[in-house]
Amino acid sequence: MLLTIHQLQVKYGGQTALEITSPVSFEKGDRVGIIGSNGAGKSTLVKALLGLVPCQGTITTPLSPEQMAVHMQFNEYATTMPVKYVMETILNTKIRKNKELQELIDFFDFEPCLSKKFNALSGGQKQKFTIIMVMFQNAELTFYDEVTSGLDFETRQKLTEKLNAWYQAKEDTLLVVSHYYEELEQLANKILILDKGKVVAYGKKEALFSTYCGRVVYILENTPTNRALSAGLPTLKSPEHLIALSCNDQETERKMMSLLIENNVNFKRSSSDIEIMYINARERFLNKNADERIV
Amino acid sequence: MNMKKKCNRNLIIYELRNINGNLMPHFFGIVFPNLMCLLISRVVGSQMPEGMYREAATSVMLTMALIMPMSTMLLGYGCLYSTEIEKGIPIRMRLFGFDPVCEIVAKTIAQLIFLTITFVIFGIFQVTVMDVLWPAFSSLLCLLVSLYLLGIIFLIISHSIATMCQKFSTTFGITMFLYFVFMILSGMMGIQTSQLPGPMQAAARTLPMSYISSDFITFWQGGSYNFMPFLQSFLFLGAVSGILFMVSLHVSRK
Repeated sequence: MLLTIHQLQVKYGGQTALEITSPVSFEKGDRVGIIGSNGAGKSTLVKALLGLVPCQGTITTPLSPEQMAVHMQFNEYATTMPVKYVMETILNTKIRKNKELQELIDFFDFEPCLSKKFNALSGGQKQKFTIIMVMFQNAELTFYDEVTSGLDFETRQKLTEKLNAWYQAKEDTLLVVSHYYEELEQLANKILILDKGKVVAYGKKEALFSTYCGRVVYILENTPTNRALSAGLPTLKSPEHLIALSCNDQETERKMMSLLIENNVNFKRSSSDIEIMYINARERFLNKNADERIV
Repeated sequence: MNMKKKCNRNLIIYELRNINGNLMPHFFGIVFPNLMCLLISRVVGSQMPEGMYREAATSVMLTMALIMPMSTMLLGYGCLYSTEIEKGIPIRMRLFGFDPVCEIVAKTIAQLIFLTITFVIFGIFQVTVMDVLWPAFSSLLCLLVSLYLLGIIFLIISHSIATMCQKFSTTFGITMFLYFVFMILSGMMGIQTSQLPGPMQAAARTLPMSYISSDFITFWQGGSYNFMPFLQSFLFLGAVSGILFMVSLHVSRK
């Protein structure tokens, strides 16, 4: 086990920002996507694990803080010199003498940016700059806190692809905080869902999907025709503009697909949609809590 | 593997680049004291008999030498470090494995190197342009040690203020205020310490800068001097900086 959290509690003033009651463990090679709405406690969890906020409880890990690397939500550096010197100081090496670092710089096409000052870099370049330095650390446990937030769609996609490609053959453990579900579909194999500082669900992506969504979901546009067509079919909670239909066996799926095709309905089939999974896990968690309160 | 990083040559060079990229210490630490020396000695010299010019210029030089540690360590470092704190750079560096103590050591060494550069430029300017009186070796050594010590005390004060305020604007306001108060009390604004009102004179006596400004000329070329009040003022300012530092540690821990 690389890291285990027991009874972790973080308070800001009198308000509880994070409260993990059941043990949560991260194993070697895990790629954990941490999701939740704003104020769910995602960044607080990262900060608590890094010792940046005071917390109660136990975090058990054989790793020292120096064996962890982190890409924070906001990363700022000195703007008084070109980033090349900042990078060389932080990594304690010379770029021209270090082949591994040169490869990383090439991998992210960062060479032309090295002579610029940090404040002259674009949003994407700034993210790449930190990512290169974080990756170079080859840490056993790496945190990425909203690594693509604030970037345009294309840059976001490219950056996610690069991250995915870089870590594919590696055994490093990653904890990736993100609001972009498609990003986590590529990067994560486990999902930790947080809501108002509490753990809603944690486990393998496929297992969680099966628990909260069934075998497969069909996602259609929420139109009056589609609503009428899907009446009586097993539906799941979904964003307002969509309808999510759940299928638990092949026979039901075949019938559902025929129905949709016959009626010329556009649909998306998924067995790993994190957004639908998140919405339904959260819904079930809130209902359970409400029931407990009533009892 | 990410290893704990120690204070090394690269970190000191990085901090020197950091100072070099900030124009404030260049102007206030290099241009300003030399310019003030030139202007004030010309004005003072024009009102004195010709034979007195070199002594007057030396007295002005001793007073203006104080601007260098004040500008570099109090004002320049305070602005630089508070900007870094505001942007979260010290935390970012810590997350990359830099020990905060090592970072402060590297910053201090870099600041002292820059201060030495300002001294060298100032010295060359005094010898080549100002024609000041040549000092006794012990007096020169005494001045240099005092200026370095002052620099370290100012660095501790500005570091503490920046840590407590966490903001560039507040730190700049407070250090700039202290800068002008110290200038007034130490006789750098054209009014000598002895000409100040009583309570201000009492306050000035707690600052080593006042003694450097008014007394060092008396033994510049040799002679005896009672260093006790001067040393006491150093101890006082050192104690104030120490208390501020302890408070800032408490604040940063919170």
